[in-house]
Amino acid sequence: MSDQPVTNLSESRLASSWGAVTGSWLPAAILLLATIVVWEAVVRIFAISAFIIPAPSEIAQSLVAQWGTLMQATLVTAGEILFGFLVSIVVGIAIALVIVRFDWLGRALYPLVVLFQNVPKVALAPIFILWFGYGLAPKIGLILVIAFFPVTLSMLAGMQSVDRSLLSLMNSVGASPTQILFRIRVPHSLPNLMAGTKIAATLSVIGAIVGEFAGASDGLGYVIQFASTQLDTALVFAALLLVSVLGIAFYYAAEVLERIIVPWAPKFSHA
Amino acid sequence: MRIETIRAVGARPAHIRHDDLISAKGVSVVMASQLVLQNIDLSIPKGSFVSLIGPSGCGKSTLLKVLAGLVNPTSGSVSIAGLPPVEAARKRMIGLVFQDANLLPWKNAVDNASMLLGIADKSLSRADLRARGQEMLELVGLGDSAHKRPHELSGGMRQRVAIARALALDPAVLLMDEPFGALDAITRDSMGQSLLEIWQRTGKTIVLVTHSIDEAIHLSRHVHVMGIKPGRITGSLDIGLPYPRDLSLTEEPQFVRLLVQLRTMLRASHQPGGAS
Repeated sequence: MSDQPVTNLSESRLASSWGAVTGSWLPAAILLLATIVVWEAVVRIFAISAFIIPAPSEIAQSLVAQWGTLMQATLVTAGEILFGFLVSIVVGIAIALVIVRFDWLGRALYPLVVLFQNVPKVALAPIFILWFGYGLAPKIGLILVIAFFPVTLSMLAGMQSVDRSLLSLMNSVGASPTQILFRIRVPHSLPNLMAGTKIAATLSVIGAIVGEFAGASDGLGYVIQFASTQLDTALVFAALLLVSVLGIAFYYAAEVLERIIVPWAPKFSHA
Repeated sequence: MRIETIRAVGARPAHIRHDDLISAKGVSVVMASQLVLQNIDLSIPKGSFVSLIGPSGCGKSTLLKVLAGLVNPTSGSVSIAGLPPVEAARKRMIGLVFQDANLLPWKNAVDNASMLLGIADKSLSRADLRARGQEMLELVGLGDSAHKRPHELSGGMRQRVAIARALALDPAVLLMDEPFGALDAITRDSMGQSLLEIWQRTGKTIVLVTHSIDEAIHLSRHVHVMGIKPGRITGSLDIGLPYPRDLSLTEEPQFVRLLVQLRTMLRASHQPGGAS
């Protein structure tokens, strides 16, 4: 065994990479399946009322029965998330750039941004409805105030972590602050920015649903609220399932974007 | 073969020789109310290879930064070819290499090599920059790695790109702060050998900060030993060994004699003291 270390090493590496694939997906899938089976069994055995906890089969039935309504609502919510998410990225990046490039403005702006971060933004939802009505605008506003912060913060961290010797090199040849910003700091911040963008993607989903809770006549958040007043808990769960699917979709979209934009960034494996 | 001499700095004639490219007169640096460098006099002739060696905290890196115009001396003056260092740097007379290559991970080797030149000279086209970058990569022995990104290069190769980036400016002086400090011993030796070849082909003046006695003797024509508390030059040594040099040099009796001499000087430099 020890006289063929190279072969053993490559074999164990193959084995561990196969193990990583099955090791990450298989146990999670088994657990999920087991949970669904136990859930179904418990609801049936103890005859739990469907408006308290619907069985997975009832949720599936509701999903099929209301498919048209749910898809329409999903589309509305997805639109809000996408729009709000993009606005959050643009505004988040703009604030970070201003803070780094204009020192004085940055020192004025940064504490206020952090202070604002401590305002419970969910509580702003009724005010946004009051200001902007029941349409798309209050949802975009709410997503923006919830999701821009991780974008700004991660990009700032990236731009400020440039090595000092590299800045010395740039300064020694007379690079301007704008050149240093766009040639060094911004590209350097992209891996951080993409990490912040993934957080913003998740927060955008929350922002859209909260916005719809506060006042809407459409979307998955509206469906959840409407269905719960009707005690149609199965429909609530069906809508919840679709919200989760949206969240996952946006997260992975951000991740795909990351791989396209920063292929040179260090990769972290998903444990 | 010339005879090696140990000279105390104070014993050197005060006048600056005509062919000195770098001269520092009475340079002191105070940082955070600490005297980091005390009364440094240094004259480095054009085309020479000079090493600064000393224990940690002797201010050798700070001295290099003073020469580069990155740190302003609290008192005293520095000139590079008659210019203040900041101005000399703006005129692309100073090439800098640090311990960390600090390449841009999103650019390939050739674009990294020409990056600083592009900042310094905005009139150059992309094609000009590429050509210059390629030329420099060939000089440092990386001609066929032009399209590799930094993460595809070894530590030694990355440092070669950093040297190419400094040389692309066509500077008069190459200031190097422990450029091989993060490399393994074997890579270090071959990098030193390459640096000698580059020096002999380009005729640049090189100032190398190092804490390796072997490296200082192997590479330089002249070694300045620095002491601590406060940081100062405690002695200088001419390495009278002929060029071209290679690694077999390290086995020769002259090399060993210089090694012992330098080690003795360094041991003395560890003693805190006032005036030299």
